[in-house]
Amino acid sequence: MSEEFKSGSGSLTSDSLEADDVLAGAEPWDPVETKLVLWSLAIAAVVLVIGLFVVPSSVLH
Amino acid sequence: MATMTNRKWYTGMLSQEDWWAVWMGLFFFGLGLLTCFNIDVIGWVTYPTKWVFSPPEGGKGAISSAFYALGKKYAYDPDAKAFYKGLGWWSIIWTYVALTVVTTVGAACMKWDVKKFVQGWTVLFFLTIAVWFVGHHAFFAATIINKHKYGLDFSLSLGGGASFILALIVGLIIGNFFKGFAGFLSEAAKPEWYIKTAIVFLGVKVGYLPIKAAATSMKLGKQVAGLTGDLFFAGAVATIVAYMVFWPGVYVISRKIFKLPRKTAAVLGSGISICGVSAAVATGGAVRAKPVVSIMVSALVVIWAVIELIILPGVFTHIWPGTSDPLVAGSAMGMAVKTDGADAAAGELLDEFLRTKIATETNGAVQWPEGIITTSAVMTKIWIDMFIGLWAFVLAMVWVYKIDRRPGETVPASEVWHRFPKFVLGYFAAWWIYLAIFFGPGHAGAAEGMTLLKMAKAGAVPVEKGLRKLFFMLTFMSLGVITDFKKLKEAQFGKMVWVYFVALFLFIIPVAVIIAYLFHHGMEIPNMAG
Repeated sequence: MSEEFKSGSGSLTSDSLEADDVLAGAEPWDPVETKLVLWSLAIAAVVLVIGLFVVPSSVLH
Repeated sequence: MATMTNRKWYTGMLSQEDWWAVWMGLFFFGLGLLTCFNIDVIGWVTYPTKWVFSPPEGGKGAISSAFYALGKKYAYDPDAKAFYKGLGWWSIIWTYVALTVVTTVGAACMKWDVKKFVQGWTVLFFLTIAVWFVGHHAFFAATIINKHKYGLDFSLSLGGGASFILALIVGLIIGNFFKGFAGFLSEAAKPEWYIKTAIVFLGVKVGYLPIKAAATSMKLGKQVAGLTGDLFFAGAVATIVAYMVFWPGVYVISRKIFKLPRKTAAVLGSGISICGVSAAVATGGAVRAKPVVSIMVSALVVIWAVIELIILPGVFTHIWPGTSDPLVAGSAMGMAVKTDGADAAAGELLDEFLRTKIATETNGAVQWPEGIITTSAVMTKIWIDMFIGLWAFVLAMVWVYKIDRRPGETVPASEVWHRFPKFVLGYFAAWWIYLAIFFGPGHAGAAEGMTLLKMAKAGAVPVEKGLRKLFFMLTFMSLGVITDFKKLKEAQFGKMVWVYFVALFLFIIPVAVIIAYLFHHGMEIPNMAG
């Protein structure tokens, strides 16, 4: 965890541009990612439906 | 290095960049607030304006006026205004001295090499100013709307975006071809620090917007005020829907199609979906991505924003939706074009294109007022700006409690605090304090509050406009200085360019147009020709 702490709090310098691993080594898809994606889309859907009814300029009016 | 076990809630307050972005941001924000008491000590902030070598007679663009103190234009107190008017190019020195003092204190507290920092900072600052100056030559920055005022028949119409690109290019040249010089600048080339500070200044901008809108509505009249109110409401809802579709969409594209790691996909999702650079940095901090990820995404955002700025206004004008649904076009532009400057410039171009087209098509029988289409582009952008801190917080929670948590491990609530990007606190503080001024003593823009709001504006503009853009310039210059193409090639930067291309043109822009249509279809702009 301390390494993770370090990775996000320090200043970016030319030495820290060792980026060979930031695009490689994708972890397997995790169910929590499915939840994150679906919750985002669900919120979008709810706001869309409510918005279409309450926004006077929407296509429903 | 502190570990999770011995960290206190206040750990790093004087030694971390995150916190120093807050202190520096709030310091200048505080100086700006003093104008509410008619004490103007912030109007010295320097700002460039478009220029040419030989301005036409009666036109604009004299080099002698290429830099001015923002107090010249925005100070409320007449004496302060007169003083700042006299500064001209000297405003650069005032800005240099003030920023040098504050940044050097920060560098000392963070235990950097102060002597090397001051030397590097001084060169970096003046180099940035020089690039800012060049980037505002009317050939780069003037639009088709105003190029004739500078005696030009052609301009690139890049607006303020030209300066950002130039800063990045100059920085990249230094970083890749003058490595000794880059080493000299390295102690002061801190893109993360500068962008985090700029995000605090962004909070001032978001909080100041209602004050600005109150003044704009008065100018445009009652009829248009009603329309801008509708745009404000429709823009808010459309933006929430769009963002909650954009982010998961880009995340899935990055993970499933391009097989990127989670943290990189999360930062890309925010960078492409929300307001680019600021969102990428905030998300990078929240999920503890390596800083290089945020920086790579930031570079991509700037480059693609300019490409969008060049392409989209013409596409929306001549292909679809055109003059049949001008506010759908404006709103979609706001959701699609990243970075505030590029969005405003793209909105301005679209505004001009569509007004010219409708006037031509109707032989002058229909003339739309200037600025409404630009407003529709800006209204969606400001709501997206507001998402930055909120989404960083949500992602920090998800990553702490769900993704980074190992089986059987107990994660203390304090971890969320330590992981939360602290500069976002400065962003919220600045935003909410200006909002409190607007709705409190400012009487929400009513006549009895307008005096105070004008005084508040005098302090907000130098921070949200002058310092914010200067810190963006410093960010891009520093970013270039520390970027090594060889390492980027090793890091498969090209792959990220393709992720951005696919996500932007095949997903973000089509979805933005659909959502803009759902909430803005049929909205009509008043005809000023009667």
